[in-house]
Amino acid sequence: MPYTVDNRPANFREQMYFPEILQGLKIAARHFFKNLFFSRDANPDFLERDRSLNWVATLQYPEERVTYPPGYRGLHRLVPREDGKPRCVACYMCATACPAQCIYIEAGEYADDPVEKYPVKFVIDEMRCIVCGFCVEACPKDAIRMDSGEHAPPSYDRAAQIWDEQRLLRGPPISYQNDPWLRRGSPSISPEKLEEMRARARPFPTVATDEASQTPGFSVRALAQEAKERGEGR
Amino acid sequence: MSRLFGMIFVLGGLVVALVGLGWAFYLLAGFLAVTFANAGLPAQYGAVIGNLLTLLLVVVMVPGSLLSVAERKWSALIQNRIGANRIRIAGSSLGGIPFLVADAVKMLTKERFQPDQATRFLFNLAPILAFAPVFALFAIVPVGPAVPLSAINGAEGALGRVAIALQVASPDAGLLYLFAIASLAVYGTSLAGWASNNKLALLGGVRAASQMISYEVSLGLALVGTMIAYRTLRLEEMVVAQGQGVLGAIPALGILLQPVGFLIFFASAFAETKRAPFDLPEGESEIVGYFLEYSGMQFGLLFLSEFVEIVILSGVIVAVFFGGWHPILFEETLRAQLSPLAFAAIGAGAFLGKMVVLMWVQMLIRWVLPRFRYDQIQKLCWKILLPAALLNIFITAAAVLVDPSLRLLAGIGLVELVAMGAITAAVSRAPKAAHGHADAHGTDHGTAHAAAGH
Ligand code: SF4
Ligand code: SF4
Repeated sequence: MPYTVDNRPANFREQMYFPEILQGLKIAARHFFKNLFFSRDANPDFLERDRSLNWVATLQYPEERVTYPPGYRGLHRLVPREDGKPRCVACYMCATACPAQCIYIEAGEYADDPVEKYPVKFVIDEMRCIVCGFCVEACPKDAIRMDSGEHAPPSYDRAAQIWDEQRLLRGPPISYQNDPWLRRGSPSISPEKLEEMRARARPFPTVATDEASQTPGFSVRALAQEAKERGEGR
Repeated sequence: MSRLFGMIFVLGGLVVALVGLGWAFYLLAGFLAVTFANAGLPAQYGAVIGNLLTLLLVVVMVPGSLLSVAERKWSALIQNRIGANRIRIAGSSLGGIPFLVADAVKMLTKERFQPDQATRFLFNLAPILAFAPVFALFAIVPVGPAVPLSAINGAEGALGRVAIALQVASPDAGLLYLFAIASLAVYGTSLAGWASNNKLALLGGVRAASQMISYEVSLGLALVGTMIAYRTLRLEEMVVAQGQGVLGAIPALGILLQPVGFLIFFASAFAETKRAPFDLPEGESEIVGYFLEYSGMQFGLLFLSEFVEIVILSGVIVAVFFGGWHPILFEETLRAQLSPLAFAAIGAGAFLGKMVVLMWVQMLIRWVLPRFRYDQIQKLCWKILLPAALLNIFITAAAVLVDPSLRLLAGIGLVELVAMGAITAAVSRAPKAAHGHADAHGTDHGTAHAAAGH
């Protein structure tokens, strides 16, 4: 918002100074009484607030949060398949692309499906991550996303910032029609499950969409809350 | 809407509480007077002790410490914020009042650090010297009218005729006592700066001393006009005189007789409290001040003395310029309908209520005006306030000489007030056209809105 200062020289009345002080007091008093007598619109989207009666612009942070815009690069997650396994095929693309070198992957093979690889270990050091999003871009399987809409939660020790595959693997599952394990089938997936997954599979997106960068209704905090309620909170 | 009703309820409760407080003060003073009389001591001593407890501890200290919370909350409201609200009791921040306890605990448990080369004795003495004189000032402020003891608790005979007023002491010197004690506070600040053995603190102390000594002059001269008009130095007599009608039913309030004197006194006293816009001596965030080396409760005392000064200043201004304990509205009806004690309690409540309003005004000023530059401060004092005060004395004296019934003086004052109001209300320049964005604030601070970055 450009803001122009009115630099006309003060006229005689303004040079008397005192009337202008009273005018200033009037404005301050109006703010005071408006904000004292009327309650605040607590809409977290504070630009949308009704500020006709109360002008307070404060956002009471931990309780009221602005939702981040679509495309916000939030905390990573490993996208699961419908059967709960990670989509990740441990190709190391993300680890290679990562400029902070904060992704550590140990590849393994499913015992019953030697064609398919999966990450035995998949660790992201969120403390070292520079949130550049290169890993998401690099992944050929849309297996890693930063769509949680949350920043990494603060913690008292560094170890809590190192997210392993158990913590990363969360959120809504996704299947694509060109997923190899759907096309040729896999002994690691039961036939009924495979049918279901094939039915729900979508075409692989060829252009980046907001939907791919932020899954509506998905929130790491909500998941953490659920985990806490299930009694597995850390 | 519920907040609107809640606030009106709270404010109404405040008014009732103030009247009740006045009532309780009278009862305590009366009780102690009777106790003392029964023990063979002068009944007045009991009343004085009661007043010491109630007026100095309750009327000065409680608002003084509450103001530290009020400063946070009120400044927040003025600046469209919420203010300190994270200490919650049963889910409610209670208007931030629990912060008082937190502050006290913090101040008292903090390490009391002393600089290595500090002049130990003076270093420890300074906060006391800064605090005590301010505190003592309130002794001469008459909070409530004199009521015979018989009206308070039905004491009989000579004892019943003893007059109990909510005033600790009423020396003949009156306002002179005020000036004498007020000027003692400068020792505290300059000693604090000097004894700290710190160049910056010393500079702060020197700034404080020069500012306070300068403003003492116009502070004193500003009240000479009221002394001439009311022909007394004693505050309680001034308050009584302000109840009389002049210009028909309009009472002879100090603000009516001495509008210019009021402004000069207010400005000078504000400078004495060392608060923004006159906060050069301390300037906590930018130019470090005289209490740089203080910590813990010693700092707390220096800090608190500022708020106590606000309370005292409000008390003195109410007594001298705003009719003291006169309720102003419906005064005759109240006096006729109610018992003397009830009337006195309402009077004390009115005094306390006016004090609250004045404290609020002082807070408001602090959050509206930016700090003066040092030369501006001295210029304001010596080139504007001092000549204006002298002129005011001459005009007042001439008006009283010509017309001893004060009618001429009141007329002059009325003209001055109306002129001031007219000049203030006149809009000097058209507000600039709105910047083409929806603005909930209205035109006159669309600029403030834009500056806030929306
Ligand atoms: S966002 Fe960037 S820094 Fe973070 S893990 Fe991905 S590639 Fe590495
Ligand atoms: S997350 Fe994607 S890029 Fe990284 S190893 Fe797994 S499949 Fe490869």
